[in-house]
Amino acid sequence: MTHAEVLAKLSEIVGRVVYHEVSLQSSTTAHDVKGWDSLAQISIVIFVEQEYKIRFRMGEVAATRNVGEFADLILRYRQKAESHA
Amino acid sequence: MRALARKITDLGTDLVKKSKSTRSFTEMMSLVALRKNFKDGPWKHPDAAEVRVALIGGYNVYPMQELLEHLLAMEGLNCKLHVGNFAAYASEILNDKSSLHAFKPQVTIVIPSDDSGAYTGGLADPIQTQRDAAHQAANSLLELCRTLHAKTGTDVILTNFAPSATHDLGPFRNRTLGSDWNFRRAVNLELGLNAPAFVQICDLEFLFYRAGALASRDPRSWFESKQPCSPDLLVDLSREFALTVAARHRAAKKVVVVDLDNTLWGGIIGDDGLEGIELGDTSPRGEAFKTMQRFILSLTQRGLLLAVCSKNEIQAAEEPFLKHPEMVLKKEHFVAFKANWRPKADNIREIAAELNLGLDSFIFIDDNPAEVELVRQLVPEVSSVLLPDDPADFVPFLQETRLFEVRSITAEDSARNEHYRINIEAKKLAAAAPDLKSYLRSLEMTGTIRKFRKEDVPRLAQLIGKSNQFNLTTRRRSEGEVLQVMADPDKRAFSVRLKDRFTDHGLIAILILDIKGDTAEIETWLMSCRVLGREVEEFCINEIFRIAKQAGAREVLGRYLPSPKNAMVADLYLRMGFTARADHFVRSTSDFHSYSTQIDSDQENV
Repeated sequence: MTHAEVLAKLSEIVGRVVYHEVSLQSSTTAHDVKGWDSLAQISIVIFVEQEYKIRFRMGEVAATRNVGEFADLILRYRQKAESHA
Repeated sequence: MRALARKITDLGTDLVKKSKSTRSFTEMMSLVALRKNFKDGPWKHPDAAEVRVALIGGYNVYPMQELLEHLLAMEGLNCKLHVGNFAAYASEILNDKSSLHAFKPQVTIVIPSDDSGAYTGGLADPIQTQRDAAHQAANSLLELCRTLHAKTGTDVILTNFAPSATHDLGPFRNRTLGSDWNFRRAVNLELGLNAPAFVQICDLEFLFYRAGALASRDPRSWFESKQPCSPDLLVDLSREFALTVAARHRAAKKVVVVDLDNTLWGGIIGDDGLEGIELGDTSPRGEAFKTMQRFILSLTQRGLLLAVCSKNEIQAAEEPFLKHPEMVLKKEHFVAFKANWRPKADNIREIAAELNLGLDSFIFIDDNPAEVELVRQLVPEVSSVLLPDDPADFVPFLQETRLFEVRSITAEDSARNEHYRINIEAKKLAAAAPDLKSYLRSLEMTGTIRKFRKEDVPRLAQLIGKSNQFNLTTRRRSEGEVLQVMADPDKRAFSVRLKDRFTDHGLIAILILDIKGDTAEIETWLMSCRVLGREVEEFCINEIFRIAKQAGAREVLGRYLPSPKNAMVADLYLRMGFTARADHFVRSTSDFHSYSTQIDSDQENV
């Protein structure tokens, strides 16, 4: 799983939650995407967790500064999950 | 173009179907997104009713509001939604100038947070203090509902409290009303029993139970975004809200039309005949169909009317109702009985006209996909239900269709009250434990003895095959051998059925007498242990002597053939006044006087 793959998947998920097509870059922030507010964030996190079968701790996602860092966080959790498997 | 249009319609139909069944949050949210891309859809009716729904409570109502709006759309409702601010619901209700009041809701959904159902006192407080607190907690919520209703006229859907999912407090949790576990349950009971008619309780406790409390609680989502439960349970909860709101706009269901073959019994009466159909305790399938019949009958207690619609000759269709001993449903339970070869849609229309009821108050149940599809197309107003393949699933499947639910039970549904009355009396009887005679008398038992009948053969063979304890001779017989007994001129073979005011125990004993000159030998005597202690033994012995006398016998001979399991009847004949001989017991018919029992005797052609 590469960083680019995670970005593509995130674009799909965010698009589904904010009801329009989006194309995310590493530097994109929630402010850059119409509709990506704190409410949409709730659904986006649930989608990501179910998609990747991971579970973030409280505050972890909120601490990421852009989509790239969010993707890094996802990748870290996946690697952890795979090393346990 | 036309192909494309059809494809879009199919997609829309698929969307509705999936939305009504999925229990996954992510799938549902994807469906929400899909719907928003549709300009039009099969769920959009030009004359769709508008409904003004307010969603308030001690939680963040996003993303629930998205789910609710979607599911209401799927129910064909045009919903205007007002959402409250997090945890401000009490002041929104009490303040006449709030946006909630200005919105003029028709339905207000109130989701109180856990803390309004929590006990703040100590675990060791007197029980009465805790009870009062539970009553108080429920009442203050209901009071808010009353206030809002009085000021805006809104109906209210109020969720109750979700159970905890952890073992906290351990065994002690059950010994005090002060534990979260018990206190919430007490508050929930108070809520349900005291809610006024305009308040519908949305049973969150049940939804947690059904989905599993561990999977439904989600502490992180509470701390992080003030969610009431796990994402997937949000789907269940929103669906309950949507169904409750939608039920206000639907005609109440009044008539249940059922097919016969493979719906009320297994097999086809016209082909298989009375002995061939599967019904009753003979087989697992027969038992499942009997259970199905019990469920259908129970619908009458909810105030629903029953009707039959079957493709059959009328004589064949009626035969089981008149002659089959295991039928739970009788002809008098049905307000209409259509057995003919005309299209079912025509028959259903005719029933509706006869009863002067709208077709949208009809439910149609059939096992045949073609019949169901035809009725769906020709009378779309009727809610048509296709039964699953396995009769084991019939009842739970029907219960999950949500079609048979009642909002309230009125005095008209007296049959249901009657049912409760009987249950309460049964409990009273058990609790009071009066002396045995008066207890047995109060059961109002009727014993029916009759000659073996062809349609009973499977059940007879089954009882002969499995009775071990109350079985004097343990002679096993196959169905074929039972038929041979019936054909034997020297044998008198009888079955005994027992009914009391609470239940029909069905076929519970078998007697086979062998008439040899002036001796009547009890060749087989066996009984189901379910009815021990009810004087059925005395009832049987009375019948044995009556039959023996009729056959001209001067004495009755009984044998006890010991088996590993039948010790309980080793001294049965001695208890019944027989004299022991070398390998048998005898009693003369002339000095026999009937035992008095509390079982009314009903002899059929004996």
